[in-house]
Amino acid sequence: MEDKKKKLPELIRTETTRRGFLRGTAVAAGSAVAMATIGSLAPKSAQAQAKPPEPKKDPMKFLFAERQNCTGCRACEYACSVYHTGVVRPSVSRIHVLKYKDSIDVPVLCWHCNDAPCIAACPTTPKAIQVDPKSNGIILNEKICLGAKCLKCQEACPAQYVWANPDTGQPLICDMCGGDPECVKACSAQSGNPQGPCLMANKLGFGVNMAYRAVTPEQAGADLMFLTFYPNVGGKRITPVKTAKTKKARR
Amino acid sequence: MTMTTPKGGCFGKILEIDLSKQTYKTREVPDEIYQKAIGGNGLGAYFATTEYKAHKDPLAEDAFMFIGPGPLNGTYCVSTRMSIAHMSPYTGLISHAETGAHFGNEIKWAGWDGIYIKGRSKKPVWLSIVDDKVEFKDAAKVWGKTTEETHEMIMKEMKDPYARTAVIGPAGENQVPFSCVIVERFRAAARSGTGMLMGNKKLKGLAVRGTKAVPVADNGKFMEMANYAKKLAVEKEAWQGIKRWGTAGLLEQNNYFTGSLITKNYQTTWYPDIVKIGGEEAGRKFWKRHVACNHCPVHCLKLGVIREGKYKGLIAEGPEYESGGLLGSNLGMTDLNTELAMIEACDAYGIDNISTGGVLGFATELVEKGILKPADLDGLKPKWGDGETYMELIRKICYKEGKAGKLLAKGVKKMAAQIGKGAEAYAMQVKGKELAAHDPRGDKARAYSYCLGSCGGDHHEGASTRALIIFAMLNSLSLCSFASGLLWGGENAKITVGMLNPLCGWSMKEDDYWTTGKRIMTMERVFNVREGVSRKDDGLPKRFMTEKLPAGPKKGNIFTAEDTKKMQDEFYSFVGWDEKGIPSEATLKGLGLEYLIDDVAAARKEYKS
Repeated sequence: MEDKKKKLPELIRTETTRRGFLRGTAVAAGSAVAMATIGSLAPKSAQAQAKPPEPKKDPMKFLFAERQNCTGCRACEYACSVYHTGVVRPSVSRIHVLKYKDSIDVPVLCWHCNDAPCIAACPTTPKAIQVDPKSNGIILNEKICLGAKCLKCQEACPAQYVWANPDTGQPLICDMCGGDPECVKACSAQSGNPQGPCLMANKLGFGVNMAYRAVTPEQAGADLMFLTFYPNVGGKRITPVKTAKTKKARR
Repeated sequence: MTMTTPKGGCFGKILEIDLSKQTYKTREVPDEIYQKAIGGNGLGAYFATTEYKAHKDPLAEDAFMFIGPGPLNGTYCVSTRMSIAHMSPYTGLISHAETGAHFGNEIKWAGWDGIYIKGRSKKPVWLSIVDDKVEFKDAAKVWGKTTEETHEMIMKEMKDPYARTAVIGPAGENQVPFSCVIVERFRAAARSGTGMLMGNKKLKGLAVRGTKAVPVADNGKFMEMANYAKKLAVEKEAWQGIKRWGTAGLLEQNNYFTGSLITKNYQTTWYPDIVKIGGEEAGRKFWKRHVACNHCPVHCLKLGVIREGKYKGLIAEGPEYESGGLLGSNLGMTDLNTELAMIEACDAYGIDNISTGGVLGFATELVEKGILKPADLDGLKPKWGDGETYMELIRKICYKEGKAGKLLAKGVKKMAAQIGKGAEAYAMQVKGKELAAHDPRGDKARAYSYCLGSCGGDHHEGASTRALIIFAMLNSLSLCSFASGLLWGGENAKITVGMLNPLCGWSMKEDDYWTTGKRIMTMERVFNVREGVSRKDDGLPKRFMTEKLPAGPKKGNIFTAEDTKKMQDEFYSFVGWDEKGIPSEATLKGLGLEYLIDDVAAARKEYKS
């Protein structure tokens, strides 16, 4: 209940903290590298404490969205469905651009979490969804997947990213197009002017991107609305929009 | 006629809704019809000419409105839109209202080539269309509510963030003849009384969600051409400005260079105060976000938040060139915040920005000239730049409240007729529709669009003889003129045919592009000819012929009767209409419109008598 009263940035911080750090077990690779970056700016003693891992030769692939830049043109959805099915069909796209209050477009994408709650939740043996070590994409084995009657992965995803294929009922999860994501190419080609592209890959930033990882599309929309339209009104930060209730299950 | 199912691009079926009986069915449309009329506006014109007899009551129970995407909607083509075609209850002529956003594509993805709505519900309803499933839902709760509230309620009930809405506001319910349909909150399918028609049918809104894909006959070839077309939209240098400034950039351009920015009810085109309400000021004070339609690299819609004054905190859209011109310089506004609130109020009430601006400008000039007294306007005295009075008048128009509301809601043409006393000299309209924000004295090419376009003083009909045909095609393909038509320029026929052939499995040639465009224009023209339109109606208001531009870059310019005649002759001969502006029998035969020959002959007789 207390969370509801909290202002939005705090909410995001707690969400990030909870998922990224307090869990203790599997620290997300993204957070680790982000820590490394912070570490390089920090004094040497702190660096020694953080123990940054060796940078890998073949870096892990991630997708990021600079949500402020999204124009809602859905070029990513188009490119995704064309790559996977040959024709334009946003309902089977593995990336989604949702509208919040019909003012803010929220790109909802797979964060490729290292702890992958979706894979952890998958009940089959062997797992129907698995990480492709080359591209860091998640590959679905259609023969094993239980489809509409299961969708445990959909429930498990903290970003509420996973949608079901309307034909097969099986989950639609990002496979990184084998390492060269089409959505990123489409986005940088198309929305580059004047604000720069929204989608990026193969880079690890820190801050807002990872913070969004455990935020539902609706919360992200509310936050983006707040960031876009009401930053520092009268020197005070205000929250004109209600944030969505976070589900208890995810705490 | 042989019935063939389309090979691609179209599904061959249209969703036909009967609101009187609250039923729906599938109307099969053969491929030949799509080849003839394409979709959107063209298909609407085909239905109107085949189903309506002359002098139909546009608000009759069986009057239809056709919400039409085109064959390219839902495919890889850039920036697809939608068109609402119907007989306008405002002008009594055939009309089409185009709008962007995602609604048109969602119709295609739901597996339909369009939605054909007729009948009249007894109670207010809204329609939920999810793929093949159609539901009639009770709209009693939202009847009387603004477009924004209606949109929110429908989205809540749809429980699907991908659902797209098209709704009307209080203006449509109250039968204001220039009310409009608001699509996804910020886009308007306006100018022709779409809102009034929907309100008359007691249809508060529609929501569509689709999960299918549009079939493509030859995907490889289609993608090749679609990618080429998209590349142009992404890269063309002249198009970078509109990405940054939207159409609001034209406000300054048309003031300083083109000399066509309308000012104070078309009295002049020189408005130095544009620096206070133009694109640059909007960029500095208001804009926060760029919004694009389907697959469009242009993202011309700008969203922002009003940061100071009475309307602080209001999220609004604009100014676009037309809304910023009609509700800005046309009304002598100098306060951007109030102007934006007026634009947002128009969207919330569901009323056409352009006609509203025209009506308010007209009333203000009449008050200035002493023809209209404040007593006729419930004691209100509009004067240039007085935003608060304009806000009050907009509200009164939407609810037809008091003397002022009842008078202004008639539109400029009928207002002039009612007021008399020489008011007609200041009524800036063509065929009963207020003009858009381009003064034809400064930008002569715009006169083509105003005069020769099929639905009256509209800016969206093409600004040259060939552009009129191109726009007839664009409105039928439901493509955007920024991201496709104007951008493709001389390549329009090549690119369109290059996409349509592999998409639909047709064998159109570039010549067929022009023939099809002429056919659509001619169908619409025959419809209007049946209603009594001819050359005499294809002219501009007298002011442009008699008053020279008093200031600005085009100072001294005037639109002469010779200009009008030259323009008409050029266009009539290009499409094969006679000197009266009536399609000749040979033309009708050549375009495959034999079924209209009798109608035209009957209309000719009427002209003689």
